[in-house]
Amino acid sequence: MIRTSLGLIVVFALIAAACVAFGAYFSFVTLQNAHRKAVEARFAITAERIAGSAQTAASLGIALPAQTTLAELLRREARLDHTILSIDVTDDRQRVLYSSDPDRIGGGEGARTANGISRRIENDLAATIGNVVVRYDPAALAAGAAALSGELGVIALPTLAGAALATIAIGLLLAGGLGRAAKRAANPAFWPRAARSALAEAEAAHSTFRAEDRP
Amino acid sequence: MIGLRAGISIAIAAILCAALVVIGWSAREAVERTIVPAIAAQAESVGRSAASLVENAVTAGVPLDKLVGVDTYLEGLRRANVELAELKLITPAGAVLGRAGAPPEEANAPQVVTAVTARSGVPLASLIITIDPSVVSGQVNAVLIDVAFIGMVSLLVALELVALVVGARGVEALAALEARVRALSRGHLWMHSDTTEASPLVAPIDAHVALLHARHQKARSEAARRGDAEAISSLDALSARTGLGTTHAGENHAATVIRPALFLFMMAEELARPFLPRLAAEVVPANLHMSVDFAISLPIVIFMAGVALCQLPFAVASERLGRKRGFIIGAAIAVASYVLSALTDNYFLFLGSRLTAAIGYALVFVSAQGHVIDHSRPSERTAGLAVFVRAILVAGLCGPPIGGVLADRLGDHTAFLASAALAALSLLVALLSLPRSQPKKDVQGVGLSDLGSALRAPRLAALLFGCALPAKILLVAICFYLVPVELQRQGYSAAAIGRLQMIYPVLMVIAVPAFAALAERLNARAGFVVMGSLLAGAGTLLLLAGTSPAIIAGVLALLGLGQAMSIASQSALVADSAQHVPGAGSAGVLGLFRLIERTGNAVGPAAAGLLLAAVGFASSGVSIGILVVAGALGFALSGRSQPSTPRTARSDGDAAPEGSPL
Repeated sequence: MIRTSLGLIVVFALIAAACVAFGAYFSFVTLQNAHRKAVEARFAITAERIAGSAQTAASLGIALPAQTTLAELLRREARLDHTILSIDVTDDRQRVLYSSDPDRIGGGEGARTANGISRRIENDLAATIGNVVVRYDPAALAAGAAALSGELGVIALPTLAGAALATIAIGLLLAGGLGRAAKRAANPAFWPRAARSALAEAEAAHSTFRAEDRP
Repeated sequence: MIGLRAGISIAIAAILCAALVVIGWSAREAVERTIVPAIAAQAESVGRSAASLVENAVTAGVPLDKLVGVDTYLEGLRRANVELAELKLITPAGAVLGRAGAPPEEANAPQVVTAVTARSGVPLASLIITIDPSVVSGQVNAVLIDVAFIGMVSLLVALELVALVVGARGVEALAALEARVRALSRGHLWMHSDTTEASPLVAPIDAHVALLHARHQKARSEAARRGDAEAISSLDALSARTGLGTTHAGENHAATVIRPALFLFMMAEELARPFLPRLAAEVVPANLHMSVDFAISLPIVIFMAGVALCQLPFAVASERLGRKRGFIIGAAIAVASYVLSALTDNYFLFLGSRLTAAIGYALVFVSAQGHVIDHSRPSERTAGLAVFVRAILVAGLCGPPIGGVLADRLGDHTAFLASAALAALSLLVALLSLPRSQPKKDVQGVGLSDLGSALRAPRLAALLFGCALPAKILLVAICFYLVPVELQRQGYSAAAIGRLQMIYPVLMVIAVPAFAALAERLNARAGFVVMGSLLAGAGTLLLLAGTSPAIIAGVLALLGLGQAMSIASQSALVADSAQHVPGAGSAGVLGLFRLIERTGNAVGPAAAGLLLAAVGFASSGVSIGILVVAGALGFALSGRSQPSTPRTARSDGDAAPEGSPL
C-alpha cells in the first residue's frame, strides 16, 4: 500500500504542477495577445488616419498614384513614432506607391505582414483601391512580452513548486490516515464506533444460538 | 471518511484554485505594468499626430486662433479611440482653441499633454488628452476574465487527469481498502465483491467479516430449523441494519475506466471548433459554384451528417467488433483524418478528411457508450452514463480555448496535428485501460420498421420534430457555426472565440443536474422541455439589438440555460415513450431519437450557411430561434389533444446520453 500511495501522491503532485504550468503559460499567451492588441491599436490609428486622407482625396477624383502629398504625410507620421519602421501605401496589387522609406517604393508588400498593420483604402463604391501598411519594430512587442514573461515566471515557478509540495503534504496526511484506518480495520477491537456497535449487536444475537447449542 | 483518492482530488482542486488565484493576481500586476502603459501610448500617438498637424498649419501661415474645424477634428479622434474621454487644445494663456468630449467623473484621470511648438521652438499651445480610466479598467478586466477562463480550464484538465489516475487498474486495491474502511465507519458489515484477487490490505478485514457472515448464516439456519419466526425476523432486521448476510457490489468502474480515453478523444475534436470555419475559408477554392458561406459550413455539415448516418449501423458494428476494438479502430481513423486535415490545402480532400473523422467519431462514441451499458447493472446505468456525458461536456469546455490558443500561435493546420496527437493518446489510453473485447455474433440492429412503429408512441413525433430536432439545429448553427464566423469577421482571435464558446458547456455542466432534479420533483418534464426551448429560441431575439460580443454572450447564455432546462426532461420523456412501445419498438424509439438529433446536428450548419449568405448573421440566428419557439409551441399544443405520456417511477438510463451537446 505504501508504494501505491507514494506513487499516487507523486503522480498527483506532477498533475498539480503541470496544471499550474499550463495555467501560467496560457495566461501568458492571453496577456501577450492583449499586449499585442494594445500596441497594434496605436499603429492602427495611424493607418486609419492615412487611409482616411487617401479615401477623401479619392472621392474628390484624385487617383491613388496621383496623390503625391501622401509621401510627405507618410514621412511625417513615421517620424512621430520611433517604433514605426515604415509606412507604405500600396495599390490594389500590393505594389508600394508611396513609402516613408524611399527604398521600398516600387516593391511588393503583402497585405498580411508580420509585425505590421494593414488598412484598406476604398473608393466610394467600397471597392479596395489600395492599402496602408504600417510596419513596426518587433522590439516594441518583444519588450512587453519579456516583461510579461518575467512577471508571470517569477510568480509561476514558486507557485508551481508550492502546489506540488502542498499536494505531497496533503497526500501524505491522507495516506497516513488511510494506513492507520487500515490497521484499525484489521482488528475488530479498533473498528470505528458504528462498526463496533453493529458487531456487538450481531454477537449478542448470534450468542443466543451458540449458548443454546451447547450441551 | 474521505478516502485518499477523493481527498486528494478535493485537495488538488483547492490547491489549484489557490495557485491560479496567485497567478491571476500576478497577471493583474503584469497588465498594470505592460498593457495599461501600451494603452496610454496610444493616447500619446494620437496627441503627437494631432499636434504635428496643427504645427504644419501654423508653419503654412495659418494663425493658431484662425484654425477652423478643430472641434470636429478632435471629436473624430475621440470617436475613433474609445479610451479618450476629452481632447482639448489650449494656448499657454489658457484660451481653449478646440475641445471634444468631457472630462471623466473619476478624479485624477491620467492625462497626456503634447506641446504644439513653432519651428523656432516657441510653445504655441498644448493638446491635453484625458484618458477615461473606466474604459482602461474595462479592457484590463476583459483580459483578466480571459485569464480566469484559462484558470477554469486548467482546473478541469487537472480533475480529468486525476480521474485518469484514479481509474487506473493499479489503484484498485486502494479503492477496495477505502470501500471497506468507509463501510465500517458507517456500521456496514457487508461482504465486498470488488476484488478479483485477494489483497493483503483487505484480507484481514474480509476474514473478520466473513466469520461474522458465517455465524449469521448458521444462526438463521438454526432459527429456521426450529421454526422460530421471531428469531428469524430479528436476525433479518439485524441483517438489514448492518448488511450481514449481504454482499456489496462496490463501485462500478465501467464509466471511470472509459472516461479518460473518451475525454481525450472528445477534446481532440473540440480543439478544432474555434478555427475550423477559418481554416475552411482558407482552403475554399475561388471557382467553386456555391456561396463562400455555404462552402465554409460544408465541413461541419459533412462531419455532423457522417456522425448521424453512422450512429445506428455502428451501434451494431461496435457490438460485433467488441467495445475496445471499436474504440481503437474509431480513434485510429480519427488520427489519420486529423493528420490529413492538417496537411491538405485541397478543399475536397479536407471535406473527405472531415467525413472520415466523423466515421471515427461515431465509432468511438457508440463503443464508449456501449462499454458503459455493457459493464453496468441497470440501476447503475444512469450514474454511469452521467459520467460519460460529463466527460464529453468537460472536453467541450476545455477544447475550444486550448485549440484557439494553439491555432493563434502555431497556425490552424498545425493545431489539427495537436488534435491528431490527442486522439492518438486517447487510443493509447484505451488500449491500456479498457477490458478485453468480447465480440457478439448475433446482434440485431434497429430496422426501418422499428423506427416507423416508434413514431406511434404518444406525443413522440411532436417531441422529436418540435423540440429535439430544432434544439440541435439551433445549437450547432449558433454555437458551432454562426458565432465563430461572425466573431472572426469582427476581428476576434480564435482564442477569444473559443472562450466565448465555453459559455454553453459551462452552463450545461452547472445547470443540467439542477434542472433535471427540479423537473423530477415538480413532475413537470413536458413543461421544462417547452420552457427551455422557448428560452433558448427567444434568446436569439437579442441579436436584433446588435451583434457585439456581449450580446452574443447573452444569446449563448440563454441557449445554455434553455437547453439545460429541457435536455434531461426531453431524454426522460423519450425513455418513457420507449417503455410504452412493445418489443423491438423500444429500441426503435431510442434509435429514432438518436437519428433525429444527429440529423439536427447535420442540418444546423447547412441551414446556417445558406441563411448567412442570404440574410446575414443576426437574421439567420433569429430565424432559427423562431423555428425553435414554433416547435416548442407545437409540442405544447400537442399535449392538449393527446394524453401525455404516463410517467414511470424510474426512467431507463439508456436515454440519458442522447441529451448530450453533440
